[in-house]
Parts: sequence; C-alpha cells; structure tokens
Amino acid sequence: MFTFIVRRLIQIPVVMFVLSIMIVGLLQLLSPAQRASGYIRSEQQAAHLDQIIRDKGFDQPFPVQYGKWLGSALHGDLGFSKTSSAPVLDTIAQRLPATLELAILAAIPIILIGVWFGTLSALHKDRPIDQIMRVFTVLGYSLPTFVLGILFLKFLYGTLGWAPGPGQLDTINQFTILDPSFKRYTGMLTVDGLLNGKPAVTLDVLRHLILPVLTLTIVSSANIIKIMRAQMLEALTSDFVRTARSKGLPERVVTGKHARRNALLPVVTLSGFTLIGLLGGSIITETIFAYPGVGQWAAGAAGNFDVPAVIGFALASAVIVVLISTATDILYGVVDPRVRFD
Amino acid sequence: MKKLGLITTMLLMGGVALAAVPKDTLVIQESADIPTLDPGVTYDTASGQFTENIYETLWTYKGSSLTSFEPLLATAIPSFSNGGKTLTVSLRKNVKFQSGNAFTCADAEYSFRRNLVTNSGESGNWFLSDSLLGTQSNAKDDPTITWAKIAASVKCSNPSTLVFSLPKADPAFLAKLAFTGQSIVDMKWAIQQGEWNGTEATWKDWVGKDLTGGGLDKKPSGTGAYQLVSRDANSILLKAFPGYWGSKPAIQNIIWQKIPEQAARFQAFLKGDADVIESGARAVVTEQLVGKPGLSFIDNLPNTVATAFFMNEKIGDPALLGSGKLDGKGIPANFFSDVNVRRAFAYSFDYAGYIKDVQQGKGKQRTMLLPDTFPGYTSSVKTYKYDPVQATAYFKRAFSGNVWKNGFTLNTNYRAGAVASQTAMEILKKNVEAINPKFKININAKQWSQMLTDSKNGKEAMIILGWAPDYADPDNFLYTFYSSQGYYYPRSNWKDASVDKWLDQARVTVNTAARNKLYAQVAQRAYEQTPYMLVPAGVNFAIVRDNLKGVSAATYNPMRSDANTGVLWKTLSKN
Repeated sequence: MFTFIVRRLIQIPVVMFVLSIMIVGLLQLLSPAQRASGYIRSEQQAAHLDQIIRDKGFDQPFPVQYGKWLGSALHGDLGFSKTSSAPVLDTIAQRLPATLELAILAAIPIILIGVWFGTLSALHKDRPIDQIMRVFTVLGYSLPTFVLGILFLKFLYGTLGWAPGPGQLDTINQFTILDPSFKRYTGMLTVDGLLNGKPAVTLDVLRHLILPVLTLTIVSSANIIKIMRAQMLEALTSDFVRTARSKGLPERVVTGKHARRNALLPVVTLSGFTLIGLLGGSIITETIFAYPGVGQWAAGAAGNFDVPAVIGFALASAVIVVLISTATDILYGVVDPRVRFD
Repeated sequence: MKKLGLITTMLLMGGVALAAVPKDTLVIQESADIPTLDPGVTYDTASGQFTENIYETLWTYKGSSLTSFEPLLATAIPSFSNGGKTLTVSLRKNVKFQSGNAFTCADAEYSFRRNLVTNSGESGNWFLSDSLLGTQSNAKDDPTITWAKIAASVKCSNPSTLVFSLPKADPAFLAKLAFTGQSIVDMKWAIQQGEWNGTEATWKDWVGKDLTGGGLDKKPSGTGAYQLVSRDANSILLKAFPGYWGSKPAIQNIIWQKIPEQAARFQAFLKGDADVIESGARAVVTEQLVGKPGLSFIDNLPNTVATAFFMNEKIGDPALLGSGKLDGKGIPANFFSDVNVRRAFAYSFDYAGYIKDVQQGKGKQRTMLLPDTFPGYTSSVKTYKYDPVQATAYFKRAFSGNVWKNGFTLNTNYRAGAVASQTAMEILKKNVEAINPKFKININAKQWSQMLTDSKNGKEAMIILGWAPDYADPDNFLYTFYSSQGYYYPRSNWKDASVDKWLDQARVTVNTAARNKLYAQVAQRAYEQTPYMLVPAGVNFAIVRDNLKGVSAATYNPMRSDANTGVLWKTLSKN
C-alpha cells in the first residue's frame, strides 16, 4: 500500500510537466493576436495590440515561451491572471477552499442519496417507489443545471424568500470577513468563521450553500442512482446472494452486507469522478450562484484567453485528479479485499 | 436523514429574515471583473468606477455637463498661455492621501511622468503622451522620447504649481486630464509599494510596463472620498475616507459584488439586496424590471457611443471577395470605393425600422459619428433615410452599371454574440437583396479577437464597430473615424484630403466656434461621401433602487466610468 501511494505521488510532478507542455503547446494554436486579445477590453486598447504582443512575448518561439514559463513556475510563480487581477497561485489559494467547501458539502448528499435511492429503487423494482426514483433520475439527467439553478433562485430566493441570494454571504457578514481583523486561517469561511469566533459567518455561508448544493445534488445524484440500481439488481440475482438467502440469513444482511457491498464497487469509482468534477469547480453552479470558487474563475479565464490562469487551473486540476484517483483506488481495496496494490 | 432535513429547514427559514442593505451602505452588483485599481493602467469602465472614487484628477466634469469642469485637486480651471502650449495649474492645499501623506505638487508631477514613462498598451496614456510628447508611443517604440523630454513636459514651478508644456496647442487637453486614468497618485506610498521611484536613473526599466497587479493595484492610496478596505475573489469593500478634504459623503460603505449571472442580479435587485446593478439591454430591463416596486427608472439619458457600418474601400482578404469580380459571385477589392455603392447601401438600411424594432422606439439618427451631446455636433447636416428607389438609382449608377447588371455577393462579418450588430446586418441584407435578385449578402459571426486583427489589417469588407469616448472632445471621435491618420482608417480606407486638412486644423484650433465650423464641414462632407452608414444611437437609461438619491437626468454624466449611476458615489445618499 505504502509503495503504491508513493508511486502515485511521484506521478504528480510528471503529470504536471507533461500537462504544462501540452497546454502551452495547445495555446500556440491561437495566434499571438488572439492571445493578446485577452488583455484588451475596448477598441481603444486594440490600437496597441502589437505592443501587447511584444510586451507579453507572444511572438516568441514556443521553446522560449515555455522556457520562460517553466523558469518562473520552478520559482513558485505561475504568472498573473488577468481574470482575477491577481497572481495565479494566490487566486487558486483563495478560491480552492471555497470550491472545497461546496464540493464536500455537495458530495455527501450526492453519494448518500445516490446509494440510498439506487438501492431502494432496485429493491422495489417496477413498483411505485422504483417508478418515482426513475422519474427523479430522468429529471436529474434532463434538467440542465442552469435551468434548475435559475428556478431555485427565482422561487426559493426571489419569490418565497426562503433561501439567501447569490454570493457567499449577506451584506452584514461581508463586512465582517472583509474587515482586516478577520483572519483567513484555512480560506474556508465555514471553518474560519468559527476560528475567528464569528459563528454567524459560518451559519451564513452554510445558508448560502443550500441552493448550490441542492442543485448539484439533484443533477449529480441521478448518475449514481442509475448505476447503483443496475449494480444492485445484478447483485440481487447473483449466486452468492442466492447462497446467502439459502443459508437463512436475514434479508437486511443479504442486501446490506452481501449485495450492496458488491454493488458499491463501480459506485466508488463513479463517486471519485463526481468528486473530481466538483473539486474542479462546478462552473455553471458557481456562476449562477456567484459562488467564488475556481470553476467560476477558470471559465472566465478560458473565455479571456488568460494563458497563465488556464495553465495554473489545469495543473491544480491534475493534482486533484491524481490525489482523488489514489484515494478512490485505496477505498476500492477496502470495499473489495481481493484488490491488491503491491 | 430527518436531522439533515431539520437543519436544512432551519437554515432556509433563517433566510427569511434577510438583513436589508443599511442606509449608509451602497451595494453594487456587476458581472465584469475589476482589472485594476491603479489609475496608471485604468482604461476600462469597470476599473474606472473605482479609481474615480478612490483617486482624484485635477478637475472633473461639472454635473452632467460635457464642456464645463469643476476643480478637484486644482484650485481653479486654468487657462492656456503661450499660444495654447502652456498650462499652469494651481494645486489645492491641505489635502491628504488615504495613507496619511500630504498631497504636494511632487505627487502630481510624479503621476503624469509615471503615465508618460510606462504608457503600456493596456493603458490610455497614449493620448497624454500625444499631447505632451507629440507621439502616442512609449520610449520603447519611439526612441525620440528621452527623460529630458518627459521631465520638461510636466514639472513643478513651486510646491503648489504644476506646469504642463505642450509641443503644440491641444484644445482637448483639459478634457484629457479629466479622465480617471490621469488621477494623482501618492508618490511616497507608491514607491513604498515597489512602484517606479520617479528618478531618471530607473525610468527606462519602467517603459511599457503593465502596471496591472502592481503595488498600487493591491494597495491604492488616493485623495478621493473613498478608500479601499479589502478585496477578494468576488467582492470589494470601500469605506468613506475620514480625512477627505471635501464634504463628508452620506454613503459610508461601498460593497461591490461580482454576480456573473443576470437572473441572480435581477432577483437581488428586486428584493433590495442590491442598490445598483449592471442591468443589460433595454428590452430585458423593460420586461423584467421597469414598473416593479422599489425601483426607479430614469430614461432618456445621453448615449456617448458612436456606431457605424464600415465599408472598406480596399478589402485585404481575398477569401471575402469570392470571385473577386463583379460577376454576381463576388466583389472586387475596391467595391466600396465607388461613392454610388456606398450611397446605395446607405439608402438600403431601414433606420426607422431599426429604431422601432431593435431599440424599441428609443433611438436617434445622428448626422455624424459624434455623440449629439458633444461639443462640435451639428444637427444641420442631413441624414440618410430608407429609400429603395434612391438605393436602386445609385446601384444602377455604380461601376458604370455593372453592379446592377451582374449583381454581387458580399461577405460580411459581425462580432459573435453581438445581437444588435447581427440584427442590423440582417436588416441590410433583407433590403439589399430585395432590390435586385442578383444581389447577395452573406452574414457570418466571427470571434472578436480574430475580428480585431483582421479589421486592423484591413481585411474585413463590411463590419459594424463602435467607439466610446476617452475624453469629451470631438477630436476623439472625428479624427478616429474620418482622418486618414485616424485609428479606424485601415478598416475603411476612406481618405479625403479636405477632411484630413479640416481635422488637423481643428486639432490645434483653440477657438471653439472656429473649431465647430471645421467639424460641421467634416460632417457635411461625410454625408456627401458616405464613408460610413451610421447606426442609430440608442437612448440610455439608468435603473436604481428608489431609495437611492442623487441619480437623475440632471446629474447623470455619461463620461463617468460608473455608467449605472453616472455620478461620483460621494454625491449619493439613501432614504
């Protein structure tokens, strides 16, 4: 196990290196003018397009451009993001905790509801509960995140006033966290609120997370429900379940311990991917609810041809992917002892 | 699961009693990023709305006027001497920066020199350099720029007097200095933050330097009514500067929030969680916001953008020419060089229909490519009307009758996502193709970045472009559009010796009446020669919460960076 983890961790810098070459290389497909246009917001500034190209070195050969970027990166400087008006590393450090809060809080209901509803659906195959679950799954699949988010905002916030609006905090708490005396220990406001002795901040952030989490849960749990149901149905008709039943084991043990445990294997993998997706930033959800995560920033950066930001985001994503994949594989081994790593 | 449901319900119910925005706080929600808080590189309205409230210029526009100024860091609006080449500015005393440093002439001298030295492509300092050094470039691109030249162009004659020395008269210079990018920065503070130290020894290291993300961007210090408290991923907090030399503002706190999604902004606005928002197009605002309780809609505000169809007389992209001949399958590169073609197109566009359908009746046809509120605008010049008979007559005359006989296929591009441009192009296409079945116009969407480059290199055949003012002076528009030395020349390739002469003359004519006469001549000539088809200008509006006071047609100045209110925030208050 230890060797396996070390081997995986060694992969990270290798993946990052290859990825950085790929991205910088891919960006060469854009003309220097296209890349420089990310630094322009008006026709007036376009008059100086050539000057910007020269200043930024977009007209230099690929090895020179990559060499410059790598040199800075090795010194811990991933460049400056025009989109966030801040250094890339600072932006990631500032926004990733917010994404982490959203991802963790969304992943819990997504996985729990996915597994629970999927199991329930399989156990009541073709009965009303199963039909309801299937309708829910179809809705989750077919309703675009965008539509769902806007609907929640309009009715739960706008019309009914049951939920807070966009953003991470109400005005009052915004004053609190923007005050220089408020220390950002972890960057996660739910935690920092408590550490600063401001539970109102923690509660407010949690309130503001309800709608994004609800949206993500409905959309993302559909996949897990579907897979879980299929796997569960397969497990319930398998030989080992028949054997367990014939041995006189109670149905709760048969389904819970034998069938569900086997059905969970692909769900573990899928949950890993779901978490990767969430940690990569739920672009649409973050945008609709004005949630200051990496997804919102990355989407803006891509649209602005913000080269350093795109590279920085991709590298951060690569690290997340490797770490979550490793964790998923380890968990896989826990669920299925037949899996061996070393 | 039950517990989870209970917690969720409690949290949701907690949202019922949302705290309203306090009376001394202004909440602004917009979708754009704020690129910088350093005036030295500010050249967009998103950043400008902050720099114009954190920093101050020597003078600013008086109320809603575009021609009168009121002093800020100057004690009075100065007059030119030495034939319009010297401007001596007396500076206000007892003014403090937000850092606590006292404002002196050295700060003003440093600010303008810094702008001349850096003059990066992202900034608007080209027009300052143009006035003071006679070139729009920085020292990297123009080796004639020396430290001696920079230092001589702006210097303190005593601790409270700043002197500008211009190589030639520039009647637009006062307006240029009212632009927020020419705000005065705190020299000592800037140097402490790692900015240029203001000396000859280091000036070359700062030439062309992009100041975005620099020391002053992170920690600004100006003399303005508001100072930065904090800035994070999606919000900026300002508070009233207690040491401000002017009247104490009623609004003590400004919270700016980045809310990218329009629907989310609208909901917050309707609920009163935001006082001012970036609202969007008139049609959307009319449908979703106007008439709703708690909102105040201010209509018929001035629009300072000029937009036109460009008809390139020397199309540089063979791909857009089709066959390259007048055989019905393409056009020659000089298709628009025939004035009859240009006039025929001008008579083919349904201006009244565009105003009625696209601008919901809230549009205006202008006589020239200059905002009608600007000095130098003349209403006495005629405008084109949709007239298929006239259009037919001119098409029949064009290219000795070959356009009419053989027909043409014109390939046009519009900026992807620009709905108004797409609609305007479609109106033109429909009307032109209805005149003669041999006429064909293809319309394609194009990415802005690609369009920028192609139009700059004269490749586009017909495009729609606009211009927003840098400063309230007619030269900023008329030279840009109509001069063969102007910024837009490569996109139109229209050259008229008389117009060039009049525009150059106007640039150095200090007498307003004489200048306006020259501009009226330009407008008349442009009507006759039709280098552009003028797209009707939409009527502007503002929409704010109705308890916000200080936003009205009488106070709205379109030159303010904050287009949502058109005022400086220090003039606002809430009921």
